[in-house]
Amino acid sequence: MTTVLDRAVPPAARLARDRRRWAWGLTAVVLTAAALAGAGLFSGSVLNPGGSAQFGRFATAALRPELDPGFLSVVAGSALVTVAYAVLGGGLALVLGAVGAALVSRRTWGRRRSGWLAARGLLAVPRGLHEAVWGLLLVNVLGLDPWVGVLAIAVPYGAVTATVFADLLDEVPGGGYEALRAAGAGRGTAALYGLLPSAAGGLLSYSFYRLECAVRSAVVLGLIGAGGLGYQLALSFTSLRWEQVWTTVYALGLLCLLADVGGRAVRRRVAAPPSPGPGRDPVLTTAVGIVVALVAWSLWFLALSPAALVSARAREQLSYVASAAWPPSTQRSLLADVAATAVDTLAMSVVAVVVATAGALLLAGLAARSPGAGPVRRAGGALVRLVLLLLRAVPPPVWALVLLFVLLPGVLPGALALGVYTLGVLGRLVGEAVEEADRRPREALRAAGASAAGAWLYGAVPALTGPVLALALHRWEVAIRDTVLVGLLGAGGIGVLLSARISAFDWPAVATVLGAIVVLSFAVDVVAERARAALR
Amino acid sequence: MRFGGTTALAGVDLTVARGERVAVVGASGAGKSTLLGVLDGTVTPSAGKVLVHGTDPGSVRGRELRRLRGRTGTVRQHLELPGQLRVVHNVNAGRLGSWSVSRAAWSLLRPQGTAEVAAALHRLGLADRMYERTDRLSGGQRQRVAVARLLVQRPELVLADEPASALDPALADTVLAVLGELAAERGGALVACLHDPALALRHSDRVVGLDSGRVVLDAAAGSLTVAELERFYGVAR
Amino acid sequence: MSTAPAARSGGPGNELVPLLPRISRRTLLAGTGAAVVAALAGCGGSSSAGPDPARQLRIGAIPDQDPEVLQRLHATVADSLADALGIPVEYRPVTDYAAAVSLFRTGDLDLVWFGGLTGVQARLQTPGAVPVAQRDIDADFHSVFVVNSSTGVTPADDLRPLADLRFTYGSQTSTSGRLMPAYFLREAGVDPEGFPGGPGFSGSHDSTLALVASGTYQAGAVNEQVWLARSAAGEVDPAVVAYARTPGYHDYHWLLGPRAAERLGGPDRLTAHFTGLSPDRPADAIVLDLFGAGAFIPTEAANYRRIEEIGRDLGLVS
Repeated sequence: MTTVLDRAVPPAARLARDRRRWAWGLTAVVLTAAALAGAGLFSGSVLNPGGSAQFGRFATAALRPELDPGFLSVVAGSALVTVAYAVLGGGLALVLGAVGAALVSRRTWGRRRSGWLAARGLLAVPRGLHEAVWGLLLVNVLGLDPWVGVLAIAVPYGAVTATVFADLLDEVPGGGYEALRAAGAGRGTAALYGLLPSAAGGLLSYSFYRLECAVRSAVVLGLIGAGGLGYQLALSFTSLRWEQVWTTVYALGLLCLLADVGGRAVRRRVAAPPSPGPGRDPVLTTAVGIVVALVAWSLWFLALSPAALVSARAREQLSYVASAAWPPSTQRSLLADVAATAVDTLAMSVVAVVVATAGALLLAGLAARSPGAGPVRRAGGALVRLVLLLLRAVPPPVWALVLLFVLLPGVLPGALALGVYTLGVLGRLVGEAVEEADRRPREALRAAGASAAGAWLYGAVPALTGPVLALALHRWEVAIRDTVLVGLLGAGGIGVLLSARISAFDWPAVATVLGAIVVLSFAVDVVAERARAALR
Repeated sequence: MRFGGTTALAGVDLTVARGERVAVVGASGAGKSTLLGVLDGTVTPSAGKVLVHGTDPGSVRGRELRRLRGRTGTVRQHLELPGQLRVVHNVNAGRLGSWSVSRAAWSLLRPQGTAEVAAALHRLGLADRMYERTDRLSGGQRQRVAVARLLVQRPELVLADEPASALDPALADTVLAVLGELAAERGGALVACLHDPALALRHSDRVVGLDSGRVVLDAAAGSLTVAELERFYGVAR
Repeated sequence: MSTAPAARSGGPGNELVPLLPRISRRTLLAGTGAAVVAALAGCGGSSSAGPDPARQLRIGAIPDQDPEVLQRLHATVADSLADALGIPVEYRPVTDYAAAVSLFRTGDLDLVWFGGLTGVQARLQTPGAVPVAQRDIDADFHSVFVVNSSTGVTPADDLRPLADLRFTYGSQTSTSGRLMPAYFLREAGVDPEGFPGGPGFSGSHDSTLALVASGTYQAGAVNEQVWLARSAAGEVDPAVVAYARTPGYHDYHWLLGPRAAERLGGPDRLTAHFTGLSPDRPADAIVLDLFGAGAFIPTEAANYRRIEEIGRDLGLVS
């Protein structure tokens, strides 16, 4: 006899697809196909095999970086400048972010949704423009002052951090906060006791992650002249001295690695604190102490003076730029160019993110540290992580030039340059998601005889899909901003237009193009947010 | 055996024959879950010897190991079903031992072998939940999904760790009956950790009691009464 | 480097910034430049360290020379000027011309070695700025059109065959890598923006040569001085051949800002200093050599009128 619980013959269950998800999936496929077509992938050859020698020169130089002691000492000194900018820029961003978070938190606005939207929209301007663009604008106001480099990082990062902090705080269950408010506590006090303790881990982890990003941004700023490793890189890059370029890239990789290791230690500590004792956690206390010391050192090193920000000259230059740029140009031909290049930018960002996501998915399993792995697997994992580190340590403009050696001109070299760079970032983030994912479903399937791939598909992928797509969508918005970086070199996109108008000091046109970039990245942000919501 | 720095099992000498239904009883921390882990190969004993289906799992590798493992199926205490998957996929995951990767991947898009899945769910009263997302199910329903996974896996040795903990008494009986039948279909055995003495006696031929990693009771179910078993639990507590 | 600002900083000390670009790489955004350079880093709050900025002369230059050589340039040029003028001179490395234009306008740089077009841009944005001197070769400067030999195009004076090739300029605001080549192309009846897929902007003369060698772009335009130097050093890929040489035009020059001009009582002392540099005196010879010049000669704003007109036509001067 077979035990059957259902008495009647059951109605046949039907497979009902989630329409919203399917619509998003379909949109993604169509967008990707359109972007690839736009990049010229389906219309004739895109490869230029003739340039393999030039590309080879770049690649082989990786194995013999410049090790001249004089050059090494220059690189070491430059690294200090980069660290100082990254620490101050990142640190100021965290302060701005903490203040901003209160402004854009849903809790602050409660039911006043329009107020919340307005506050959120206000942040779109600082976060919609790349650090390099901020650097360019600020140099016109502050000249050679080190504030340029610090603010160029702090302004856009501050806006992004504010949004993320607000989201983290909003996700904390509100019971404690409401109870304190009901007991008569003020908003600030209630947040301090009711929200912060629960969100502290996430906030701390994110803060360290931001500091690491700031190192890379400080280098990009150096590329446009803010000094440090990026400046050295620009010099070597201009004259195509690849051996020197690699030395600088390795130095940058080392800085990223240090920030990464520190951040990882803190994250791990926050995620799994040791058995609670009476005192503070020594690891966290040390980490916070190091950061505070670094900030103090950087302030001294860069000799930042708040007076420079409000000096008469700064005001004078600000009014010069503002009056030159207002009103923004509405020339028909410019608007047509803006529209056309915006489409290119969109295509580039989509190709970049698709390439990066596909690559990250392929590599994530290897990049993730897995407990109990054999030595071969460990070595392989370390190698993959090293490659990912180098992919993101080489700035996108360098990737754009070397890819241009082996690809014909067009949107594709720029898009792939961004894709390769984004893969470096995304591969790491996805690898971390894999590490943090529950391993037990996979192990259970393995114990029941499933192959490694099968266990991965049924035991790991389902739980990872959501977070990975969320990360990819976030990087999509970042990629829109990054396209500006590779805009030169005929690598396409709205960055080309921006670079041309800036070269001509055509401020009204610059204002229009910048406005378009902000609108574009805000639009992508909104779409990505909707898509993320559908995935939850 | 020693496990995780503390001795989880020690001096256990146990043979389970084909056709046997064994209930493992004991207080929390007595070593029940470790015993099942040793049997399904997720826990490697630090000392001693384990033969599953007459083979030492440590002596085979690759495809052969997978085949051996496919002959054992486990319902775990924490179930370990990815909540984002639909029920049908979580049930089908029981067949990964015999499916190729490409078939497994394709099934995620177009569910394969739905007739068997439907039949398995039907036996457990979940037929209408086949395409639901697993995380939308209650604890008891998820427990039955884990059992349905075993039904499509069709193992010879059926292991179950508190398979009825979240179920009402009627459903608990059904689930244990289904597991017993499943083992019998392939002429195999059932080893279930249970904390309800009455349930243990109703659905087993033999009861093994563990205390601090040692076997303190091994008797035919028929020779025991519920009261005796309750006393056993009482002692262990 | 005559000044010794805060020794602590990642400042412009020689040991930190030995390398300067041969040619401005407009790495990203033209103009950005934010020549905020390591230098500044150090000297940071420029007001807080070093001599009174009102008394010192801040110079910027991006000569077409090897980065290695340029380390010596700071010290040599700055010291030579400081000696001649009797005031402290601070050298501030700048990565790109467009950044230098902005810094010249904001008054962060007093005396800058500009290209023809960037000099015009800087002068238009900075009323009162005056050209000081140019090199002997700058009065009759040339660009070279180069092609990849696989195109089968043979050297000629007719530029029209270039119209069907994938073509790259150098930096957007380079006079010799962009402006004048575009002008002469148009004179020859070739649309300077009409190349297949649109023209590229390699960012620097060296990148142009590498991209033409790779065949990604089949033709390009470079500064003749760079072309000759790279050819002489045997650094040019054999796949790259010269196609045509443009007629001469005015290019690089020193431009003096209005505030400094006022302090120095006009440009004359500077002009006299530069034109007085003689290859016979060892100290002077080093400076001349660094700039690849036989001598410096006087110049005036009128020399760049044609560049201004062409710049307006091409939408590069507004």
